[in-house]
Amino acid sequence: MATKKNRTPNVENDSWVVIAPASVTDIPKHDANPAFVRLRNPRTDAGSLYMLGSGDLQLYEVKAFEEHFHSWFVGQTVQRDGRLLFVTPMDPLYLILPYLIKSGKEGKFQPVDQVVTDEEFPVCSRLLSCTHSLASLHHIAEEKEVGSRKFHRYSEEKTINWLKKKVERTVTALKKRKVSVGEGVKSTTYIRVKSESDCCEEDYLRYAHGLISEYINEDLSKALLGHLQLPELTSPKETEPPSKKRKLSDKPVEAGEDYTKFNSADFARKPAKKLTAAQKSLAKVDKTGMKPMSSFFSPKISIRF
Amino acid sequence: MDLSTFEKDNSVSCRLASQIPDVCRTEDCCLGIDEAGRGPVLGPMVYGICFCPVSKKEELKDLKVADSKTLTEAERENLFQKLDEARSYVGWALEILSPNTISTSMLQRTKYNLNALSHDTAIGLVQYSLESGVQLKEIYVDTVGPAEKYEEKLSQLFPGIKVTVRPKADSLFPIVSAASICAKVARDCVVKGWKFAEDMGEVDTDYGSGYPNDPKTKAWLLKHLDPVFGYPQFVRFSWSTAQTLMDSKAVTVHWYDEEEDGEKAAQRQNNRSMLSYFSASGGGIDQNPTHQTHRFFTERRLRSLDTL
Repeated sequence: MATKKNRTPNVENDSWVVIAPASVTDIPKHDANPAFVRLRNPRTDAGSLYMLGSGDLQLYEVKAFEEHFHSWFVGQTVQRDGRLLFVTPMDPLYLILPYLIKSGKEGKFQPVDQVVTDEEFPVCSRLLSCTHSLASLHHIAEEKEVGSRKFHRYSEEKTINWLKKKVERTVTALKKRKVSVGEGVKSTTYIRVKSESDCCEEDYLRYAHGLISEYINEDLSKALLGHLQLPELTSPKETEPPSKKRKLSDKPVEAGEDYTKFNSADFARKPAKKLTAAQKSLAKVDKTGMKPMSSFFSPKISIRF
Repeated sequence: MDLSTFEKDNSVSCRLASQIPDVCRTEDCCLGIDEAGRGPVLGPMVYGICFCPVSKKEELKDLKVADSKTLTEAERENLFQKLDEARSYVGWALEILSPNTISTSMLQRTKYNLNALSHDTAIGLVQYSLESGVQLKEIYVDTVGPAEKYEEKLSQLFPGIKVTVRPKADSLFPIVSAASICAKVARDCVVKGWKFAEDMGEVDTDYGSGYPNDPKTKAWLLKHLDPVFGYPQFVRFSWSTAQTLMDSKAVTVHWYDEEEDGEKAAQRQNNRSMLSYFSASGGGIDQNPTHQTHRFFTERRLRSLDTL
C-alpha cells in the first residue's frame, strides 16, 4: 500500500444502535416518551447520560460498547461508529443519594422534592417520579411524617447497610454468571473445565464492592469497604522500589568475580586497576536526589478494584 | 468446455478435469503445467496441467499445439477441441482460482502472495494426477519466480520425478503448450460469461483485456467503483490498480492490522510517549487519579457517555 490513509474526523451520528429492555417503551401516558437525559453521575460528580423510561417510571443507565475498527451496516446504510449502546435498568436511589448526603449535612428533616434540585441538571427532579424512588427512600434516610407530608434526613448507617446488601446481591450475580473475579486476567471466551474453586469469597466481595463503587462517591466507597471488613489495599507504588544497585562505597570499584583470570595463562589474579581521572571525577559527583536509572524500569504493581 | 461447476459459485475456486486416459495409468507419463491470467486485474487465474504417455510426445507435436499467446482465440478453441478428441491418451485438469480467492489470499492477515498461491495450485494439480493413478515420470513447468528454487522445491516434493522448470516452457515443450491452451480457453470462457453475484444494474461488459494498462479496463474500473463496497468480486482487490482507485475515489476504510504511524496513531492506541517515563512525576503512574473505571467495564469495553 503506497499511501497512508488519513483518518477522517468522527462526525456526529444522528442514529444509534441501542439495546434496551422492552420496559423502556411501555407507554402508560401519551405524552411521556422515553428520553435520554443528562444527570449528575454520583461517582464522578460530572454529567453522564441516562435514560428515563416512558412516564419517568424507571431510570436506566446508558453504557457504550466502543472499540476501534468497528462499523455498522444498518439496513441499506453504513454507520461509521461501531458503537453499541446498552440501556439497562438502574436503581434511582444511587442518583438521589448525593443530594440527600449534601442536605444531610444540615442535619434537618426536609421534604425530598426540596432536596433533589440541581441548577445544572434540572431534570433530576424527575427522578422522584420513578416507581421505586419514594417507596425506597427509607433505605437511605430516616422518615418523619407530619400530617400528610413526609420529611427525610440522610442516614449514613442505613445507607451503608443498604449498600452492603447490594454488594451481597452482586456477589450472587457474579457467581451465577461465572464472572472471573480473580487477580489474573482471563479471557471471557475461554472455557474453563475446572470451576473456579480457587476464587475465594474475598475476591468476590472485593470485585462486587468495586462494581458498586462505580455508583457511589469515594468516601462512601471507603466506608463501605470498612463495613465489609475488607482491608484497604495499598499499592506498593507509593514506596520506592528497592534499588537493585549495589551500595556505593568509597573504595575503588572492583568486580565481584574476576573473569579475566580465565583468559590469562597462569590464572594469576591481577591487582585491581587504579581509577582513571574520569572515573574519579564521576565518583565525586553529588548523587543526592538522583534516582538510579533502574528504578524507572522496575515493575509497577497497581491493584485496581 | 463445461464450466457450469464454476459458474454455480464464482466466488470460490474450482477444479475441472478430463477423464484419465487408461494408458496414462500404465505407461510412463509426462506432465506440463502452465497458467493463464496472472496479470489481469479482472477475472480468475487459471492453472492447467496436461499429461500424456512419454511415448506419445511426438503425436502431441503433430497436433501443432503452440504457445497460447501466439494463437488467436479461434485457433485456441480449435486446438482445445483437438486435445479433447485425443482423449484416449491426453488428459488435463484445471484449477480456476476465482478473483475473490486471489483478493482474499493476498489481503488476509497473514499475507499469502501470488507466487505462493501459484506454486501451491501447481503442486495441488500434480498431486491430483498422482492420486488419479497417472504414472508420472517427467514434469515441465513454466517458471514462477526464480527457476532453480522452484525446480528444487518441486523435485523435493515429488521424488522420483524429473522436474524441469524453464522460462518460456510453453513454447519449448508441447505438453506445456497443451496445458497453456487448456488454461487460456477456460479463462476466456469464464471472463466472457462472468455472472455478477452483485446487483449492479446494467453492467457494461466491455471491460477490454482485463490488464491494468488497458484503457478500456481502466475506464470500466472507474465506472463501476462503489464508494462503500469498492468493486464486484470480479475485480482483484489486491491489485494496486484497484487499490489506488479505491484510495482516491472511495470511502476510507481502516482495518485492525493496518500499518499506522505518527502521533495520532500512538494516541489512538493509547501508547505512551517514552518521554512520559522521565517526567517529574516519576512516570508510569496513571495521570488521572480521580477515578479509574472498574475492570468489569474496561474489560468489556464499556464506558459511560457524557452526551450522545
